[in-house]
Amino acid sequence: MSRVAGRTDWAEEEDEDSLQLPQQQITKNKDGTETITTYSIRDDGKKVKTTRRIKKTTIKQIVNPRVAERKHWAKFGAEKGKPAGPQTDTTSVAENIAFRPVANWKASAEDKSETEKKKNNLKDAKIKCRICSGDHWTTKCPFRDTMAPEGEGSTAGPLDDTPEAAGALGGGGSSYVPPHLRGRAGAGEKMGGKYERDDLATLRVTNVSEFAEEQDLRDMFSRFGHVTRVFLAKDRETQRAKGFAFVSYADRSDAAKACEKMDGYGFGHLILRVEFAKKST
Amino acid sequence: MRPILLSGHERALTQVKYNSDGDIIFSVSKDHVVGAWFSHNGERLGTYHGHQGALWTVDVDPTSTLLATGGADNTMRLWEVKTGKLLKTWEFNTSIKRVEFSPDGRQLLGVTEKRSGHLSTIVVYEIIPDPEAEQTDEQSLRIVCDESKATVAGFSYLAIYIIAGHEDGSVSQYDAKTGELLFNTQAHEADMQITDLQWAPDRTYFITSSKDKSAKILATDSLEVLKTYTTDTPLNSAAITPVKDYVILGGGQAAMDVTTTSARQGKFEARFYHKVFMEEIGRVRGHFGPLNYVAVHPQGLGYCSGGEDGYVRVHHFDKPYFDFMYEVEREQANL
Repeated sequence: MSRVAGRTDWAEEEDEDSLQLPQQQITKNKDGTETITTYSIRDDGKKVKTTRRIKKTTIKQIVNPRVAERKHWAKFGAEKGKPAGPQTDTTSVAENIAFRPVANWKASAEDKSETEKKKNNLKDAKIKCRICSGDHWTTKCPFRDTMAPEGEGSTAGPLDDTPEAAGALGGGGSSYVPPHLRGRAGAGEKMGGKYERDDLATLRVTNVSEFAEEQDLRDMFSRFGHVTRVFLAKDRETQRAKGFAFVSYADRSDAAKACEKMDGYGFGHLILRVEFAKKST
Repeated sequence: MRPILLSGHERALTQVKYNSDGDIIFSVSKDHVVGAWFSHNGERLGTYHGHQGALWTVDVDPTSTLLATGGADNTMRLWEVKTGKLLKTWEFNTSIKRVEFSPDGRQLLGVTEKRSGHLSTIVVYEIIPDPEAEQTDEQSLRIVCDESKATVAGFSYLAIYIIAGHEDGSVSQYDAKTGELLFNTQAHEADMQITDLQWAPDRTYFITSSKDKSAKILATDSLEVLKTYTTDTPLNSAAITPVKDYVILGGGQAAMDVTTTSARQGKFEARFYHKVFMEEIGRVRGHFGPLNYVAVHPQGLGYCSGGEDGYVRVHHFDKPYFDFMYEVEREQANL
């Protein structure tokens, strides 16, 4: 306002401001990419410099002339008059499906019937007799009447005994499986919906800024592939991040890529450390 | 593999088909409308309006100029693919369950339903492959299926035979000139309906799917069962993939039983089997109802499936699909 007399119009002043911004710059790099630098003013009045590196690839595809001609056919029926390109009301893109054919798919698939699962559960479980340490149930031990259970004199049953066989406590007739054992055998339908938790494609991110939000992490990590789950540990009282998080991908190769790229990435004022999560027990 | 979801239909899909170049997908559904879609991006080219009842079947001629449909309004109709114009309507006493063009596009076959005093028939019309031409009303051939009704039918290579699948699980071979029954074989379990019949690219063999939870490859000439693929669910459709030696099977619990079971148990997945070794190699999920039809891209680049849930899912195969080989196949390839 104290500039030149007669130039008090606010609109013009604004104009002058934007003129001071440097022009957009496009530089071609040696490796065939382009760097585009643009300047803009944010809502809060601060000047922002945006640098983008873009790689342009031309994909040439030879199509049958008949097919090429059909691509330019006019739309008709319910589509009449609609612009070219897929319409969002009729066409959408579904979530990525990893389809990898494998020989002997049946055996590798976990889609087995309930009874089979239980049988396998029992097969894997190590049965150890508390009396003679043989591989049978304590109740079926041939020395049941003659010997007392190992390492104890009292009759109180040790509660922490043979947790592997817990799925079949009570002589194998019971179908109860304690919650902490359910996950790995996959008994029943899993809670938590569509994604089976895949530890193989889960990253552990540490040294996360305490002001981080789950969405920030999701934004950063979804660059490398479809992120199925983001868990950011937070303090219950302060609601601030505790400094570590887990990010799961639908695909392990995406996870590996993200692990490589994001390890050492500066976020907030800290350097992220990214590694594959260790298998939880 | 990121499937494209086509949600233009309001009711269950009954059949989906690629044209011979694989760039357009035609879909018919119980909502009376025929849809045409570009397969590469899922864009809808248009819709064909005119049918008054649920549609059961669709087929396109080899040059992608004419489209035939049949449905529960007892009509078989011919459309111009490019404009959506109705060219011809043939009326029948019962609904049309299956239409198919001959390999040269000059004959059109229709399978009529059996109902109240009308036996199931297979009718054939001569077609002039020109949208301007007046099509004939005269049937060039009429085969009456008095034993068991025909559910599916198609022309063999060079349109020498007509092969039909029946409600009782048998497969028949008719002479396509005279309509004479040459051969009938009980390919699938008795009284288990044959739900689909799709051809290999050269039409010297075909695959049938049945409610008996199996799909079989039969030789066109001898009707000999060459391969059997057994599953754990009733099948609605089976397709043979070109390029790679696979078959794709689609099915699932009958629509009426769906509400009583969970999606997991419903087995609404496309199943991939190796064509030669008859072993399952993978599944693709996505539908939340039974798959009513699976169709394969003629160049083997992808497949699409139409489900009872009203969606068409278009899949473009990616690298692992093409790379997969059995050990013996790999040895053979390296020789």
